[in-house]
Amino acid sequence: MRGYIAFIRGAMLVGVVYRLGFLFTILGNIVYIIIAYFLWRSIYSGSDSINGLTFDQALLYVALGSTMFILLKTYTDWGMAGEIRDGTISIYLTKPIDYQLYNFFTTIGFASTSLVTVTLPTVLMLLFVFRIHIAFGVGYLFFPVSLLIAFIIGFNFDYAVGLMAFYTESIWGISITKEIFISVLSGALLPLQFFPAAIQQILMWLPFQAIYYTPLMMVTKPDQEVGVFLQMLAVQIAWAVVTYFLSRMLYNQAIKVLRVAGG
Amino acid sequence: MLSIGEYIRLYFLIETQYIKAQMQYRADFLISSIGMFFSSLATLSIFVVLFQSIPNLAGWSLMEMVFIYAFYMIAISPMQILFDNIWWIRYKVQSGDFLRYYFRPLNMMFYFMSERFDIKGLTQLAAGIILLAYSSVKLGLEWSPWKLAALVIAVFSASLVLISIAVMAGSSAFWLVNSYPVLALAWKIREFAPYPMSIFDGIFRFAFTFILPIGFIAFYPAQFFLRPEEITPVIYLTPVIGVALFALTYRVWTLGVNSYTGTGS
Repeated sequence: MRGYIAFIRGAMLVGVVYRLGFLFTILGNIVYIIIAYFLWRSIYSGSDSINGLTFDQALLYVALGSTMFILLKTYTDWGMAGEIRDGTISIYLTKPIDYQLYNFFTTIGFASTSLVTVTLPTVLMLLFVFRIHIAFGVGYLFFPVSLLIAFIIGFNFDYAVGLMAFYTESIWGISITKEIFISVLSGALLPLQFFPAAIQQILMWLPFQAIYYTPLMMVTKPDQEVGVFLQMLAVQIAWAVVTYFLSRMLYNQAIKVLRVAGG
Repeated sequence: MLSIGEYIRLYFLIETQYIKAQMQYRADFLISSIGMFFSSLATLSIFVVLFQSIPNLAGWSLMEMVFIYAFYMIAISPMQILFDNIWWIRYKVQSGDFLRYYFRPLNMMFYFMSERFDIKGLTQLAAGIILLAYSSVKLGLEWSPWKLAALVIAVFSASLVLISIAVMAGSSAFWLVNSYPVLALAWKIREFAPYPMSIFDGIFRFAFTFILPIGFIAFYPAQFFLRPEEITPVIYLTPVIGVALFALTYRVWTLGVNSYTGTGS
């Protein structure tokens, strides 16, 4: 386990090299939130509450959704595809290291840097510049745990997509398709309450909602009963376990086709 | 110096070879095209869902938004298909590989961009054309040869705006080396081009019209065809903005090319 902690540290050190990158990422997110503010103001121009959400709640949801998206977008699949294509993966395979855990801890390292340099400044800005009104409630206590589980599920998806590099020349198509499916069906771009009832029912049975909708709702509507939040966490954990085993099975299949030439 | 005709002939020669080489990876092409198709429709599906809860967006109906979005898909395609290599400039600049573009008697921007022809972008173009035809039938828009000519000019100008923004962002590699964050920022803001500019307040509307002119990628030019009775003079600026911005971008690119000295590796 100590060995894996080193991967976190390594990734964090790599992360801070690209300081300029963080600046542009924050800037991009601010522009996104400004545009979202105007967009949602226009959507709410005729009513105080739509689909059970107020303007403040919807804006908080969307702004945090975009911030979370940056945190979860760690390019793990791209990194893996690079390692698989050029054969660097053999370095890890010949050591007593689990390839999935190695990637997980590296991803945690990247995300920790991003948490401090992008997420925190954005959240502070949301509170003090945009002055988003937030309700307080027990949901905030569950949010960090929920965020971590969401991170694990998101990682499992990334990992599975990265493994596709064993089969195809470029993972661009699969990666972008995954990203679109997750961002639309998870409620990252639009709260799921806005979807037609029948589609909402279906989406609740899919793993995507556990990535964005669940943690975001804990903050958007934090004043619900503890039981509600516990149930939300239980569903998330179930998806984390299922996606973990599926991605592991995929690895066991994919590793069979690996051929590394030379070195 | 080659004439424009010779450049076009050369471009076809290069891309024919490129496409032949790419066709080795048929499965890859298929998956990429599917990915492109989904990514084109993501924002559109959000519009459709959103309009279940609201009657209109700043006065624009769903079908009008579909038309604007279809125009957007067509206008962003030339960037995707012809200028996609801008995403790779940072690697070439970083490795020093970029130096090789200096050694041919060709226009360097042409030479660099001709290296990649993004076939999957054709999926987006086709989807955009189909969607534009569909929405204009649904909206009962009338098309005359004169209007079709205006559409071609509008699409051409709008695509120049996006090409300029992206190439300028990518050219930052000459000074920053890693141009990815700048390009990614431009790309993210691009996604908001199809939204009605009327949702923004004064200063932001001004910014998206004249400073970071994403309004000209889709909303302003599309308005010309959707509501000709509501045209404001700003709409006629589309070709001017497109050409002027590209001229400026070409200057920035040339400046970058002239100041680049390799990275010593």
